[in-house]
Amino acid sequence: MTRTARIRTRAVALPAAAVLLTAAAGCAGSSGGSAGAGGGNGHGGTLVIGATGKLPNPDTVIGGAGFEGKRLVSFQLYEGLTRYELLKDTDKPPVVTGALATDWQVAADARTWTFTLRKGVTFQDGTPFDADAVIFNLARYLDKKSPEYTDALGAAAAEYAGDIASYRKTDADHVELVTKDPNGHFPEDLAHVLIASPTAVRGTGSAHFSQHPVGTGPFSFVSQTEGQQIELAANKDYWRGAPKLDRLVIKALPDAAARTAALRSGGVNWIEYPNPDDIDSLKADGVQIATNSYDHLWYWILDTSKAPWNNPLVRKAANYAIDRKAIAEKLLHGTADPAYQTAPRATAAYDPAEDVYSYDPAKARQLLTEAGVPNGFSTSVTVPTGGSGNLLPVPIAEALQRDLAAVGIKVELRTTDWTTLIGAEAKGEVALGSDAVAQSTTLFQSEALLPLFLGSKSPFWTGHYANPQVDELLASSAANADQAARQAGYRTALSLVTQDAPWLFVVNDRNPRALSPKVQGLVQPQSWFLDLTTVWVR
Amino acid sequence: MTRFLLRRLLLAVPTLLGVTAVVFATVALVPGDPVAAFLGPGAPPEARRELTERLGLEQPLPVRYADWLGHALTGDLGTSISGQRPVADLLLPALGQTLTLTAAAFLLVLAGGVALGALGALRPRSAGGRISGALSALAVSAPQYSVALLLIAVFAVGLRWLPAGGTHDVFGDGGPIDLARHLILPAVAAALVPLGLTARVFRAALGGVLAGELADSLRARGLRPAAVLRHCVHNASPALLTIGGLQLAYLLEGVIFVETLFAWPGIGRLLYDALTARDLPLVQGGVLMVAVAFVGVNILVDAAHAVIDPRVRN
Repeated sequence: MTRTARIRTRAVALPAAAVLLTAAAGCAGSSGGSAGAGGGNGHGGTLVIGATGKLPNPDTVIGGAGFEGKRLVSFQLYEGLTRYELLKDTDKPPVVTGALATDWQVAADARTWTFTLRKGVTFQDGTPFDADAVIFNLARYLDKKSPEYTDALGAAAAEYAGDIASYRKTDADHVELVTKDPNGHFPEDLAHVLIASPTAVRGTGSAHFSQHPVGTGPFSFVSQTEGQQIELAANKDYWRGAPKLDRLVIKALPDAAARTAALRSGGVNWIEYPNPDDIDSLKADGVQIATNSYDHLWYWILDTSKAPWNNPLVRKAANYAIDRKAIAEKLLHGTADPAYQTAPRATAAYDPAEDVYSYDPAKARQLLTEAGVPNGFSTSVTVPTGGSGNLLPVPIAEALQRDLAAVGIKVELRTTDWTTLIGAEAKGEVALGSDAVAQSTTLFQSEALLPLFLGSKSPFWTGHYANPQVDELLASSAANADQAARQAGYRTALSLVTQDAPWLFVVNDRNPRALSPKVQGLVQPQSWFLDLTTVWVR
Repeated sequence: MTRFLLRRLLLAVPTLLGVTAVVFATVALVPGDPVAAFLGPGAPPEARRELTERLGLEQPLPVRYADWLGHALTGDLGTSISGQRPVADLLLPALGQTLTLTAAAFLLVLAGGVALGALGALRPRSAGGRISGALSALAVSAPQYSVALLLIAVFAVGLRWLPAGGTHDVFGDGGPIDLARHLILPAVAAALVPLGLTARVFRAALGGVLAGELADSLRARGLRPAAVLRHCVHNASPALLTIGGLQLAYLLEGVIFVETLFAWPGIGRLLYDALTARDLPLVQGGVLMVAVAFVGVNILVDAAHAVIDPRVRN
C-alpha cells in the first residue's frame, strides 16, 4: 500500500516556542492569546525594540543570538519553505503552514518529501524565487563542495537541516527532499532552514553576506551599527502583503533596568522581558504588557542515579513541597504560570489531568517517611546566574530552597554562569558537581530535541534519567507523519515522565513584553516567534 | 628623549606578550565551550565535533597561542566564534566608541579634578575648600552602577532632558549634537570616581607645594601670588600627570558597567559578551587592543613627565 499523506497547512504538533538551553534570550506572549496591544486599521511608523541579548549575525541560520535573534531579525528577513502561523488561534500552540512552499507530500517511506513551491515570490533584491534557489541554499548548508559553504553555516544548519540525506529539483516548481530517517516533523524543521537570495550570496560571497543579507521575509535589511542596532524596512513587495510598519529597529539592551529606562524615556517603544518587578509601575504609566504562554519550562534536573534522588518517592515528595503559585504570582508578578507536569501548558502534549503535583507539604513529608528519609536530607543544585529564558534564576531557586527546607530537604545553591552550566551539560557533566541543575528550556523547539532532554541515550547530562517506554514513544512518535498520532504519542510519553518525576517542575514562562501605548496591532501567539506584519505605531 | 621613548616601547613588548598569554590561558581554562555556546544544545554532536576541529580548539593550548600570535603579528586577529565575523570588523568600531566615551569622560576628570583640587588647596579652610573636599569624597565613594541608574532616572526618565542610552536617537538626525547629548550622562557616570581621586591627589600635591619651601622662597623674592601659583602648579603637575594617566587607563578598562547601562556599543560591552560566549579570538583581540591602549597611555604619560621634569629622563 503506497499511502501518500497529503498535507496542507499542517498543524504541527507542538508549539513553536522554545528556550532551549543556549538558545534565546527574551520573550513574547499576549494575554490570553490575541491582540495584546490595541487594534485598529492604521499603518506606518517606526517600531524600536529593545532586545535582551546581543544582536544576531544576520546571515540566515548563523544567528548566534539564540531564539530572540531569530525572532526579531532572522525570521523577519528570511523565510523557509514553511513557517509558523502566528496570527490565528493564538489561544493554541501555533501550527506550521506553507511559506515558500504551498504544500507538500510525503511518500509511504516517511522519508521522501515533495514540496510544491510558491509562484510569484521574489527576494528583496528582485531575484525570483524558484527551485534553483532552494537547491542553492541547501547546498550552501550541506554540501562542503559548494563555494558558498562555510563550517559555521554547516554546523549551525545541522540542528534543523542535518537530517536531510539528499535534495533535488524535480522541476521549476518542485523539490524533493529525502531525510535520513523517517521524520514526521520535517515540515516544522524546515521553518528554520532559511532561504537567502542566491544572487545576493554570490555577489558578496558567504564571508560578507551578513553585511548585505537578502531574503523573502516581510522586512528587508537597511543597516547594522555593530553591537548597537539593526535597522530593517518594510518589504513592500512581500507576498503576504506589505507589513504595516515603515521601519523596524532592533536595539541590544542587555541590562533590564536600562531597557525599562529606554522605554520610559521614549528611546524605544517596545522592550522584551521587562524586569517582573517593574511591571506594576509600567502598567501604572500606561505601558501595555503583553504575555502569552509558550512551550517553556523552568525546572530542576535531579540526578536520578544517586541517593536520595534515585528514589521516585523522594522526587515526588520534592514536587509536592514547593509553592509554585507563590513563585509565579509574587516573585514573577504573573509573568509565569505554575508548572505541575512535564509538558508545558502551551503544547499539544499538555493534559490538564496530569497536573498532579499540587502544593502539599504534608503529603511531601509523608512520602519522605515512606521513602525512609523522614528527617529529610542535604543536597545541592547548580543554578545559573542568568541566561536566556531563565527568568530570575537565583531568586526562584532561593524560593524553592525555602520551600524544600520546610519539609527537611536542605539544599545548597551553587551559582555559576550559563555558559559554564551548559558547556558542562554538553559533556554529560554537572558544573560544580551538584546533585541537580536548575535551568529552563522550550521542550518542543524542535520535536527532534525531545530525546536530548528525556532520552536515555542523550549525549547531554539528563540526570541519568532512563525509561525505555519513553524512549520508544519518542522515537515512534517523531517518525510519524500523522500529526494527531504524533501528539498522542508525546502526550503519553510526557505523562510517563511526570509520573517518574525526574525533574522538579516549577513554572512556565508567559514571555512578557512591554509596549508603549503608541504601538498597535500586536498579535501575541503561544510561541517564541512573532509575526510583526500587523504591528504599527501611532 | 628618543632613547627614553625607545626604551619604553621595547619594555611594552614583554608586557603585551604577558597580558595576552595570561588572558589566553585563563579564558581557555575557564569551564564552558564556545562551540556549545554558539551552536546551542540542538546541534548534533558530530556538528559540534567537526566545528571544534575546524576551529582548532582541540589543539594544545601553547600551539593555539603560538598560532594566534603568529596571525596577530601579521594583523590578522582571526574570526569571532559567536559572531562569525572578522574580529577586527567587530573591534574597531567598538574601540572607536569606547575612545569617544573615554575622551569625553577624561575631559570631565581633568577639568573637574583640577578645579576642585585647586579650590581645596588654595583655600582649604574656606567654605569653597570644604565643599570641594566633600564633593571629591562623594565622587570617589559613589557606586558607579547606582549613580548611573540615578542619572538615567532623573535626567532621562524623569526630566527627559537627555537620552537614556545609545549613541544616536533612532528618531533624530544622527548629527554631532545628537551624539553629544548621548555622551553627557555616560561620561558623567564614568568620570565621577576618577574625578574625585584626581581632585584629592591634586589638592594634596598643590597644597604640599604651596606650604613648602619653594613657595616660601618665591614669596620671599617678592613674586606676586599669581606667579607663585604658576610655579607651584608646575611643581605639582607631575602628580597630576601620574594620577591623570592612571585614571585614563582606569576609564579605558572601567567603562564596562557604564557601557552596559547606557547601551554604549563600546569595547567593554563587546568583551563582556565575548567572555560570556567564551569567544576566545574576540576576547584576545579585545584584550590586546585595551592593553595596547593602556601601555600607550602610560608611555605618553611618562613622556610628558619627562618633558616636565628633566630628572625623569635619566
